[in-house]
Amino acid sequence: MPDQEKDKTAPPAPVPDGQPAPPKALAAPVAEEASSQYFFGEPLVGFDPSEITGSLIVIEGMDGSGRSTQIALLQEWLESEGFAVQTSGLRRSNLVGRDIDELLAKNAVTRLTLALMYATDFFDQIEHRILPALRSGTVVLADRFIFTLIARGVVRGINRDYMSGLYAMALRPHLTFWLNVRPETAFGREFKKAQAISYWEAGRDMSLSHDLYWSFVRYQTMIKREFEVMAKRHNFIELDGEASVSAVNKQLRQRIAEQLGIRATKYTPSTALAHLWR
Amino acid sequence: MENQEPVQKQPRVEPPKSTLPQPGRPVPSRAYPGALIVVEGTDGSGKSTQLYLLKRWLEIGGYRLHFTEWNSSPLVKSATRRGKQRRLLTPTTFSLLHAADFADRCERQIMPLLQGDYLVLADRYIYTAFARDAARGCPPRWLRNLYRFAPVPDITFYFRAPLDVAVNRILSGRPKLKYYEAGMDLGMSYDRAESFRLFQARILEEYDKMVDSDGFVVLDGTMPVNKLQKQMRDIVASKIDLKRFAPRAQESE
Repeated sequence: MPDQEKDKTAPPAPVPDGQPAPPKALAAPVAEEASSQYFFGEPLVGFDPSEITGSLIVIEGMDGSGRSTQIALLQEWLESEGFAVQTSGLRRSNLVGRDIDELLAKNAVTRLTLALMYATDFFDQIEHRILPALRSGTVVLADRFIFTLIARGVVRGINRDYMSGLYAMALRPHLTFWLNVRPETAFGREFKKAQAISYWEAGRDMSLSHDLYWSFVRYQTMIKREFEVMAKRHNFIELDGEASVSAVNKQLRQRIAEQLGIRATKYTPSTALAHLWR
Repeated sequence: MENQEPVQKQPRVEPPKSTLPQPGRPVPSRAYPGALIVVEGTDGSGKSTQLYLLKRWLEIGGYRLHFTEWNSSPLVKSATRRGKQRRLLTPTTFSLLHAADFADRCERQIMPLLQGDYLVLADRYIYTAFARDAARGCPPRWLRNLYRFAPVPDITFYFRAPLDVAVNRILSGRPKLKYYEAGMDLGMSYDRAESFRLFQARILEEYDKMVDSDGFVVLDGTMPVNKLQKQMRDIVASKIDLKRFAPRAQESE
């Protein structure tokens, strides 16, 4: 894994003096503009990427892969190291977060409309939450990013180029972690959380199976395949999400420490978070 | 002006496999039996009046039709309203929210009705987004991709009126322009009327760029309403085989 270190896609984050040089940014294959090192394709309207002084760190992975646990722990660790942290995640925008919740509850929405509402939610957070934080030197921990959104659209039959074109103006993360777990494991973890599996987690809208377990496993396997395709292209750092919380967290801390120039990566959660450590 | 032979659409024997073509790919007008007529133009160009009159003509004739308006999907309405009221919208989210609105109408009304052999009339269509969002600075390539799933209209009427005519029609008739309507988010002027004028000028420019590339039928928005309507009806009758949309009662005779 550490060999993938030379992250081709990471923008050169300004790093405080005396700290290791940031990974070099290589121009994307189709790069006509310098902005391609900051964005996946097109520059975002009215925004100057050179203002970025923070770091964007993305944690991806299916439901039950342990993303939110890891983010809670990382936030505490980073704050104890003196870094300001902002988090983001799907459906958390002020603009349409609640509207999406309602659409999902009503189940009256078609796949394309839903995909575009998620895109609205995503860009609202980019513009109103993530960019302001990155401009002020904050570390942004993103619980999922465009990759989940693209995968969900593609498995529902939306053209792949269409989905990636939609997110052409998304910021390129400095680091993208993929917590990879087997759908079978994820099912158990998710079930334990709520004593149930939700309609959308199980991909019930796709009519894969009337059996909830098989619907979940098939749906998440399809999503996982899309992740495998994107992992190479976008230099995901793949971690074994089935390892213990502390083992996964250690790997995350090591990579993030390199990125941010933190020397020590020792960390034990406070009593408030000790229950997550297991 | 348009003296071409009426384009006769062959009624297809077998319907296409799926009701919804794969999203993200353009839908050619041959892919469904219905027909799509859209009107475009800046605010105050007279397009809505003209489409209303066309709709009345077709309704009175008993044709199977459906009328759809830009930015009218109930699913997306509350989000748009909130975004506008609280001025949360940026060029990107403004564009995406309108695309979501359009996608909802497209997937739940426009496409099914075109498949079901209806005449669909749209007051504003994707070209409104191309013109307006490009005027706000969205990358044209991104916009074109965003709406790639839209069926290509059979006729796109572009009502063209000189900037002053169109702007004065709006300013004389409306007490107060809304924030986004006036393009205040672009920060071009503190004066709403002036901002509106500058914004409309940009939109007009964007529309003009599409006349050839998107095959607009250009109509003069300054002509008397009834004469303009006559032109519009003539063009519709010459380009679309209206008999196909005649009342079903006659068919079953």
